[in-house]
Amino acid sequence: MHVAVKILGTIVVGVPLGLAATWVVTSRGGMGDSVADGPWKTSLVAGSPQSDPYTRARVALHGLFALNRNETLYYTATEDSSGAKLDGHCRYEVVGRDPSARWWSVTAYGDDDYLISNPGNLYSASQTSVLRQKDGSFAIAVGGAQAPSAKTSWIPAGTGAFSLTLRLYNPGPDMALDPADAVLPALKKVSCP
Amino acid sequence: MSERAQEWLFWIAATILVALVVHLVALYLLPRVVMMRALDRLGAANTMHVGKRPTAAARVIVRPSPDILYATCPYDLSKGPLRVTAPVIHTSYWSVSAFDANTDNFFVKNDQKTPADSVELVVVKRGQAWPKLDAAIERAILFSPSEKGLILFRAVIDDEKHLPAIDAALHQARCGTVASAPKLR
Repeated sequence: MHVAVKILGTIVVGVPLGLAATWVVTSRGGMGDSVADGPWKTSLVAGSPQSDPYTRARVALHGLFALNRNETLYYTATEDSSGAKLDGHCRYEVVGRDPSARWWSVTAYGDDDYLISNPGNLYSASQTSVLRQKDGSFAIAVGGAQAPSAKTSWIPAGTGAFSLTLRLYNPGPDMALDPADAVLPALKKVSCP
Repeated sequence: MSERAQEWLFWIAATILVALVVHLVALYLLPRVVMMRALDRLGAANTMHVGKRPTAAARVIVRPSPDILYATCPYDLSKGPLRVTAPVIHTSYWSVSAFDANTDNFFVKNDQKTPADSVELVVVKRGQAWPKLDAAIERAILFSPSEKGLILFRAVIDDEKHLPAIDAALHQARCGTVASAPKLR
């Protein structure tokens, strides 16, 4: 009886502990084997059969059906350039020039990994839709209550934590080889109410 | 060390071992369970499903791109190989990719690597023979590591004006079981 109680205790404590450990490693941290380029993080092995069980589990939860990095590089930012968590109340700017790729887009996602509902159905800006300065550069406004001006692309970001994904379709060979050293747009906080 | 302390140590080690085994099993099962759920939610197997342009209401697959139209064919090779045919869209980025039951991406081809106007793919599992392919178009045999999986088409909406044409081209994509394929000896 005494031993039976101990075995039961081992199971009652061990099973939730194992599940909790799985939850912690899959819901937090990067996508595994990830590299950072400023606030942008990307996995080197997402979507490929080389991925380890941890990467595979994270990708299944947060980036199901991702392509390998020669086809598409997915950079995700959950923090601004200063390291503070992205918050939909605040206004950010994604500033730069076209990264080396055939086509790119920046999209905002809520904490639940889905697009953020907003009246204008504004979810992203892309190489072909972004409003540009005369010199070809762009400054995409992200978050905040309204668009800063009609001359700037704006992506609303809800009222809570959010993340941005920068997709590069057919990245330049230099990018696919060294995703940590790619020239990517900067992500700066402009203001917080 | 007292006998009591030793006994405690034994049970603590046993608890950690149970936790470790549960952790590894959960980690192994997680992608497979996520994939099975996704395949169920995407609709009938061996049938092409062309999605609407993703909005905040799209809640089947995480992190969809609102600038892409997706077409999906969840497949099940238990009744024979799968044949997929589709026009290739050359006006913007287009790709067809395949994912196994483990979520691994085992095949991808984009429009730049597919000069032809249409593509034919036959997906087979181990031990399955494949039917003769139509020689007129770009074609490939894919060996699926698992019986179930997903064929996924992506087409970038580079310009709102192109949306109707991209949508129409994706709607011409087809997939279905090839029942007549003979068994490999």
